[in-house]
Amino acid sequence: MRPFVFFGKSSMNEYKSKKQTNIIWKFFRSVKLTLFILLILAVTSILGTVIPQREGIMEFARRLNPDMFRLFISLDLFDMYHSIWFRSIIGCLALNLIICSIDRFPGALKLFRAQPRPDRKKPFENLPPEQTFIVREKQGKAAERVSSFLSRRFKNVYTAGDQNSRSFYVEKGRFAHFGVYIVHSSLLFVITGSLLGSFFGFEAYVNIVEGDKTDTVILRKQKKPMKLNFEVRCDKFSVDFYENGAPKEYRSDLSFLVNGKDVKKMSLLVNHPVQFEGVTFYQANYGSVPGKKAQLKISRHSGKDDEITMLIESGVNTALPDNKGSFQIAKIEGDFMRMGPAVLISIQPDKGDEIQFWVFKDSEMIEKKVPGMLGRFPKLNPSAFKPYTFYLDDIESKYYTGLQVNKDPGVFFVWAGFFLIIAGFYVTFFTSHMRIWVHLSNMKKRTRISIAGTSGRDRVRLDRELTHLTGNIKELFN
Amino acid sequence: MLNSLILSYITFVYFGAFMLYLLMMVTGKDFFGRLATFVTLVGLCAHTIAIILRWVESHNLGIGHAPFSNLYESLIFFAWTITFLYLIMEWRTKNRTFGVFVMPLAFLAMAYASFSPNISSRIQPLIPALKSNWLISHVITCFVGYAAFGISFGISIMYLVKRLDRPEWKNIFLRVIPDLSILDNLNYQVIIIGFLMLTLGIITGSVWAHSAWGSYWSWDPKETWSLISWLIYAFVLHSRFVRGWKGKRMAIFCFIGFSCVLFTYFGVNYLAGLHSYAK
Ligand code: HEM
Repeated sequence: MRPFVFFGKSSMNEYKSKKQTNIIWKFFRSVKLTLFILLILAVTSILGTVIPQREGIMEFARRLNPDMFRLFISLDLFDMYHSIWFRSIIGCLALNLIICSIDRFPGALKLFRAQPRPDRKKPFENLPPEQTFIVREKQGKAAERVSSFLSRRFKNVYTAGDQNSRSFYVEKGRFAHFGVYIVHSSLLFVITGSLLGSFFGFEAYVNIVEGDKTDTVILRKQKKPMKLNFEVRCDKFSVDFYENGAPKEYRSDLSFLVNGKDVKKMSLLVNHPVQFEGVTFYQANYGSVPGKKAQLKISRHSGKDDEITMLIESGVNTALPDNKGSFQIAKIEGDFMRMGPAVLISIQPDKGDEIQFWVFKDSEMIEKKVPGMLGRFPKLNPSAFKPYTFYLDDIESKYYTGLQVNKDPGVFFVWAGFFLIIAGFYVTFFTSHMRIWVHLSNMKKRTRISIAGTSGRDRVRLDRELTHLTGNIKELFN
Repeated sequence: MLNSLILSYITFVYFGAFMLYLLMMVTGKDFFGRLATFVTLVGLCAHTIAIILRWVESHNLGIGHAPFSNLYESLIFFAWTITFLYLIMEWRTKNRTFGVFVMPLAFLAMAYASFSPNISSRIQPLIPALKSNWLISHVITCFVGYAAFGISFGISIMYLVKRLDRPEWKNIFLRVIPDLSILDNLNYQVIIIGFLMLTLGIITGSVWAHSAWGSYWSWDPKETWSLISWLIYAFVLHSRFVRGWKGKRMAIFCFIGFSCVLFTYFGVNYLAGLHSYAK
């Protein structure tokens, strides 16, 4: 196998920058600095996966001694990736990239623009014997054949020479010299995009109960509320489950309102965010909250034979059976005192003071666990207002949808960077500037033909191309 | 299920292939090498069929999805890719000695998937966040990348072993390993494939995260570790531009790089984060 030749190496030697000798410039154009920064970034990134970031800090902090804790705080180690020092390292990488590229770009441009030189001798040094052969034809005729063959295969054929010796030069993939510049500038796009996002964007969340609307979301980082220019209403939330109980799909039907008027309706699913006025909504989670209604049973004696069932909205005054006064539901709790759903009943008797007590849904179970407890406290006794006993059948529950609400004006740059990085990789790794020389020299009635080439990086493809060309040209003379 | 039964047998097929490659290197007899290639090829065909079968079975269960969604399936695919890339490399270089250093990765991955008590081979339904076409491209690109880095790891070991060689030893095992410069170039090319695929994997992953969670990058441990691996391999690629940084040092950094990849793959499950659902 022949040694690899990089245009990288040769360009480094041939195009030493003359103009800049400034120390800072020298420092930032060095690839050694790149290596150093890449390692530093790798090592510091590891830190951030070991030290808890943002979440779980408190538990971790308890295990540190106070001095260490203060040190960690002052170094921003609990939000490392957004700290000034981490960003400075990335800034150095960006500067390194920019200066390195500016420094080398003229070299690449020179190679890209290089005048074709058909009469070079150097490529033919150390030519493997199989790339030279002799044909029984005069040089002039042979040159014509080779010329027409080459112009069929390559766009431009350059030629030089005379009766005794003729040279042809063809090439492809000049653009390959720019591949690395595309890759490197793509990184700048990504870095710019992420900075734009962190300065001009936000990450927030909000929970909206079915039927409710809001214009305020809570910023994740600062834990502060923030007002949007519009309102969002959750019209409906639904979950589908697989047979084994695992969730299959979440869906929120949202309406967006500007100045109180419905402007747009959209359905939100996991993996299918929706966007309104530059703000993107994602389905993050869901849950249920007690609604405004509860179903109560009221019996006038302790037995259950004469009970009445009512569906009552919280805060609405309702007459007691037999008209001995009125009552209302003062509060509805999804889990009161860790004993399950409960409602606070407030009774306004015909005579006397208001009476309030809690009624639990799971009162039978509570009674079993702690016998007599509910009877002991008037506040917890469902029979506190004689002769009535209250039972809570159920409270209406409503879903709320948990939305992640983001704005990121840098995303476009990041996507552009991603696109460029792929394009740049294609150019860098899958194309190469391949240059091929065909030399014909006169040997009286015969002609000696030699074929040589150079390539940027892709020695393998060059060798294949050369073998192919040699075969084809030999065939021309059969 | 049939597919996981076949897959567990393939572990032994790959182990057999490894032993044959080893036998070839110890005895210097080409016959074992050809047999090893044949066994590997048969294993790979069965492996492919089993993966397709698994896909079909998941559809028959009514929860059809491409078989790339949990640790078991990813390990199976990882082993498949290593074997596939290895066979291409064997065919392109016409050299079988790589088998000894690469096939162990394939059979270890298969053995871990099939016989570890912590890994379930059941076909599970997809949770909503995983229902995305990006998932398929993300997993495929990442694992082709990981597999290429695995092969680079094998080549690096070969490089370090070959360096020990002394002509006067006349050791068959060391002699049949290709020359250092060939190994170095090959390693470089494999790293390029790996770097390319890892980059694509990170890109598809962040596009997917953007559509599922609303942020293309959240510094969750798995993301961060894949970035760390990426940085290490960017380091390796650039280190060739600094004089004297070929060869041994590159091989050592491929070691470090592959350790990071393995940590990205397995270690991260011990740190909490978004990706921990993939357990
Ligand atoms: C994470 C950051 C970076 C990535 C992913 C990256 C990627 C690449 C890639 C893929 C190549 C082609 C490798 C090859 O031909 O083997 C390359 C080459 C190169 N990179 Fe970077 N690069 C990064 C940062 C930098 C920085 C900061 C510099 C600044 C000095 C730099 C300087 C170079 C040079 C001089 C070359 C060789 C160009 C040539 O072939 O002439 N790179 N880089």
